[in-house]
Amino acid sequence: MKTMKLEIVTPHGLIYEGDVAQVTLPGKEGEFGVLPEHASLVSLLDAGVIAVEIGNKKEMNVAINGGYVKVDENKVSCIVDGAVALSDEDGELSQRIEEAKELLKKAETSSTAIATAVGKVESVVKLH
Amino acid sequence: MANLKEIQRKIRSVKNTQKTTNAMKLVSSAKLKRTEELAKQSKVYAAKITEMIDEIAANIAKQGDAVDNIFFKPVANPKTVDLVFITADKGLCGGFNSQTIKHVNALLTEYKASGVKVRLRAIGKKGISYYRFNDIDMLQEISDLSAAPTYARAAEFINEAVEDYLRGETDRIVVVHNGYVNMITQEIRQEQLVPVDPSGLVRGTVSTSELEIEPDDDDTLLEALVRRYLEYSMYYALIDSLAAEHSARMQAMDSATTNAREMAAKLTVQYNKARQEAITTELIEIISGMESMK
Repeated sequence: MKTMKLEIVTPHGLIYEGDVAQVTLPGKEGEFGVLPEHASLVSLLDAGVIAVEIGNKKEMNVAINGGYVKVDENKVSCIVDGAVALSDEDGELSQRIEEAKELLKKAETSSTAIATAVGKVESVVKLH
Repeated sequence: MANLKEIQRKIRSVKNTQKTTNAMKLVSSAKLKRTEELAKQSKVYAAKITEMIDEIAANIAKQGDAVDNIFFKPVANPKTVDLVFITADKGLCGGFNSQTIKHVNALLTEYKASGVKVRLRAIGKKGISYYRFNDIDMLQEISDLSAAPTYARAAEFINEAVEDYLRGETDRIVVVHNGYVNMITQEIRQEQLVPVDPSGLVRGTVSTSELEIEPDDDDTLLEALVRRYLEYSMYYALIDSLAAEHSARMQAMDSATTNAREMAAKLTVQYNKARQEAITTELIEIISGMESMK
């Protein structure tokens, strides 16, 4: 299976780095997915949830409050202001979800975008 | 001869001071480690964002347009300069604050000589109280940011200056702070935030592939990116200053502890001498008393 590199960076440090199979990003002009060998792209990101498919049916969600993404040469770099990873591996998921909601609510964007994102975060709870 | 009791009291007080300074030193070194870690982590973000600004600027250049974004326009003869400077909220850190203030003062006289109006934007209690005492006006004051920098508050602070820049109220924004070099050295750093110096961006990382940009307006994107970059620069300056503050305090407290130890040793010698003298005098008195009785 083809993979690409994904990096999610905030001013407070690296949130995620690794090889992934697919990423769905909350673009300012609509959600879009990126697969390996995508054409070069730079886009503004809205507040929302980045859905990451790591492969082997493993998934991860990262809530962000806006930023940029650059897709280039099989590498996706997300530069965001704030991010909370909602991975299913650690036992503090509920706490993470609260943090993520807090982060999204503070974001400066339309209320519909926030509501959609919060809804997505909540659906992560139901999945686990 | 000093009174025995008095010397004893002095020794006790010096030893107490030594305990305090030693504790402060330990606290500072722990905090320094944490701040250093914070700075290291945030550097990844800086690397990424400069890379991206660089690429978009190159992309605009490739299309034949010159980069004429307001953030990149150099001003030959600035009329007004905004000077942002960072000092600590607390003292007891050697020359950390006074060095920054000295540098700011030097800049003030330099700009004054060339007829440039300077507006001060102060961060940190020490700097604010200094300029208040000297009756120099500050445009913006914030006093509890330097001890606990957060990205949001740093951004809020610098954005006020950036808005002024965009409105044309100021021609240049300069940040001065005392930066961290290593455990024992700090150095004054002076950075021009806007106009952004394009030569400071790393060239040569630009890929050859066509860049697709969304929203389809690279000027807007560039502007938004530069804003982020400025916010980040402010945040980083704060972290850097905090690390320097802790290292300066660590040093100051270390030498204070050493001084206290030396002082205590000296006082102890003095005490022992005084005690011996007292005993000798007493003995002489007893002996001479006995002699006279014979």
